[in-house]
Amino acid sequence: MNARQETASPRPWLMDQLRETALDWLYVGKALLAIFIGGWLAMRMDLQQPATTMMTVALVMHPASGMVLAKSFYRAMGTLVGCGVAIALVGLFPQQRELLLVGMALWIGLCAAGASLYRNFMSYGFVLSGYTVAIVVLPVVQHPLGLFDSAVMRVSEVMLGILVAGLVGDVLFPQRLRMALRQQLADQYSGFLAFVRGSLGGVLAREALEEAHMRFVGETIQVENLRSSVVFEDAGVRAHSPRLRQLNQHFMEVSTSYQTLHHLMNRMHAPHHRDTRDRLRQLCVFTATALQGDCQPSPEAAARLSLALQQTERVLPGKIREQRQGLTSHRELLDFDTGAELLGRCLQELRAYVQAYAVLRRPGVATAAEKEVVFQHGNDRLGALVSGVRATATMLVMGSFWILSGWVHGGSAMMLATIFTGLFASAPNPSAVVRQITLGFATGMPLVFLCQFLVLTHMDGFGLMVAGTVPFLLTGLYLTTRPTLAGYGTGYVLSFIYLLNLHSPMTFDPVYVANEAISQIGGVLAVAVAFSLFGNASSNGWLRHRLLRQLRYQVARACEAPLNGLRHRLESATRDLFMQIMVHAGPRARDWLPWALSVHETGRAVVELRRRYIALPLAEQAAVAAVLEAFARLYRGDAGKQDVAHQSALLALDTAMVTVTDRPALRQLHLLRLALLDNGSVLVATPTPNFHSHQEEAPHAP
Amino acid sequence: MPREIAVLDALVPSLLLVFVFSLLLQWAVDWVGGRYGLYRYVWHPPLFRVAVFFCCFGGLGLLAMQ
Repeated sequence: MNARQETASPRPWLMDQLRETALDWLYVGKALLAIFIGGWLAMRMDLQQPATTMMTVALVMHPASGMVLAKSFYRAMGTLVGCGVAIALVGLFPQQRELLLVGMALWIGLCAAGASLYRNFMSYGFVLSGYTVAIVVLPVVQHPLGLFDSAVMRVSEVMLGILVAGLVGDVLFPQRLRMALRQQLADQYSGFLAFVRGSLGGVLAREALEEAHMRFVGETIQVENLRSSVVFEDAGVRAHSPRLRQLNQHFMEVSTSYQTLHHLMNRMHAPHHRDTRDRLRQLCVFTATALQGDCQPSPEAAARLSLALQQTERVLPGKIREQRQGLTSHRELLDFDTGAELLGRCLQELRAYVQAYAVLRRPGVATAAEKEVVFQHGNDRLGALVSGVRATATMLVMGSFWILSGWVHGGSAMMLATIFTGLFASAPNPSAVVRQITLGFATGMPLVFLCQFLVLTHMDGFGLMVAGTVPFLLTGLYLTTRPTLAGYGTGYVLSFIYLLNLHSPMTFDPVYVANEAISQIGGVLAVAVAFSLFGNASSNGWLRHRLLRQLRYQVARACEAPLNGLRHRLESATRDLFMQIMVHAGPRARDWLPWALSVHETGRAVVELRRRYIALPLAEQAAVAAVLEAFARLYRGDAGKQDVAHQSALLALDTAMVTVTDRPALRQLHLLRLALLDNGSVLVATPTPNFHSHQEEAPHAP
Repeated sequence: MPREIAVLDALVPSLLLVFVFSLLLQWAVDWVGGRYGLYRYVWHPPLFRVAVFFCCFGGLGLLAMQ
């Protein structure tokens, strides 16, 4: 039987491979079709540079139609804004080339800085509105009166490209991004439920928690990214977009609470805690029974599961009272109550998550509560400033070189350098990307020579021109579908289209092509230099540390910011920041994971504590305020140098725990105190050496 | 309708305005379709979207250019 299974398995594998290959070639075919339709229309309409239209198509084309539409939308926005600013800038400095250059450089820096505060294609729109100015202004810098025509041309060419790319991408055999989102949500759902089911009544060491947390953060961000693109593709998803946000929010909340619960159980490893821990474990085992049912990621199964969870939620208080009997000492009762409340919160949030998943595709309007949910990105302002300065400096240096040296084609070099410094400002490891792009440019150039002067000179008419260029473009476009060669392929396609500069009637000028080629290579090399001088967080440890600092600072924000909607902002911003750390630091991000966990746990407890704050009497309020202040100071301080702040936070907590009588607030304070005293946490500067072995000996459940 | 209209003293083809208006119209139809889940009854939603747009633009354009 085994043998039969083995012979049966290669066929699906082969089919999958063939399917993937077919999809790649379908994309290549669509891209080629769109590029040439765009080029043909641009020539028919007598636009100055059909190459811009073709380049636009090549840039926004993507296998998934949602991506094409999203990128197109932001490209259109960026182009319009950029053209407006170009007209304003030339209007301000029509006669002064130097001032114009400085103005442009500042604007581009501003846009590059803005780009790093946003994600995905919104960031692309910012970059574009920056460099469009350069593209519009440079050709007419000697005769400013032609500016308006240049701007109109640029807008027409880009819009034409966008229309063609959008039509071909969306109508002709579209690959739906919606399906990818649905699959992602289903994976997230079943993965999380399986994780909870497997661990709720069982052992979970800190490492396993950290591993799971990293996965969940990645999934959360991916869902948010997909959502932001799918809304362009599908009106149905757009109408449900608040619901998707809400679902993701519930996912974040329940994963934080669940992780806190495990930390709490792990902390009760001392012998005198054993009794309390066993009782809590009983409750966990009871709760886990609700999850034994059908956990399939279908709406019907989710609705059933949500009912089962609701039932458990109703029974849980009785079970808690049952287990609570027999506990006498104040300390034990507090431990138990804290754990029981946390378990109740987990259950409630899990039910909310499952319910949100069940109603996701049900028709209907988003409720007001769903509309309130926001996904906030966390940013390091200084990192943004660095990318702004990088873009401005690159442009100024290249521009001065161009003006001082009198290099005729220096403008192209400057433009290309500006474009790429903006585009890759927040890419992971930009130096590697730039290296690939440079290689792509270097490959594209000789091929342009070959194509233009040996092939196209023999071709007459549009049809033959297409036949002459397709083989070259085909290779490049196929390379862009290979994950490891995407940068190389992009560089190759861009340089090919840009240098070939198809227009009608075609002119053949080898000297011009050679000069352009040299200036392009110069531009790309300048980008490489710019990134090696001012790297982003991938190569600059200091910027990475700033991100970590920003992450810790989220707790201070939880202590001080207005409470309205704070929980949503906190959960999303901490995850977004950690995702940035993961993107830039790669495997090294693991070292910083304890901080992320600690920030999630403490931040959430602080928010819960503050929600009780208003209900407290004045004297207790003062004590809680002191705790909040101490925690804000603790997380604001430098990592590794927080001994004093740690002591004072502990002191404030002890004082507050004596003063406060309100039970829910007391439980949150207790949670904070346990987190502060946990030897495994990063907050304790010198962990006891035998801690890990101790933890493994005494897991909180068999 | 004249062939060109002065918008802020720049001559703009009036068809362009019709185009932009049709885009808005199509967007509204799309919103209604998504909001009430009408696309479930459509075989190829993107094609439908494009067709709606061309109907709007074609009809309005012909009307405007009469």
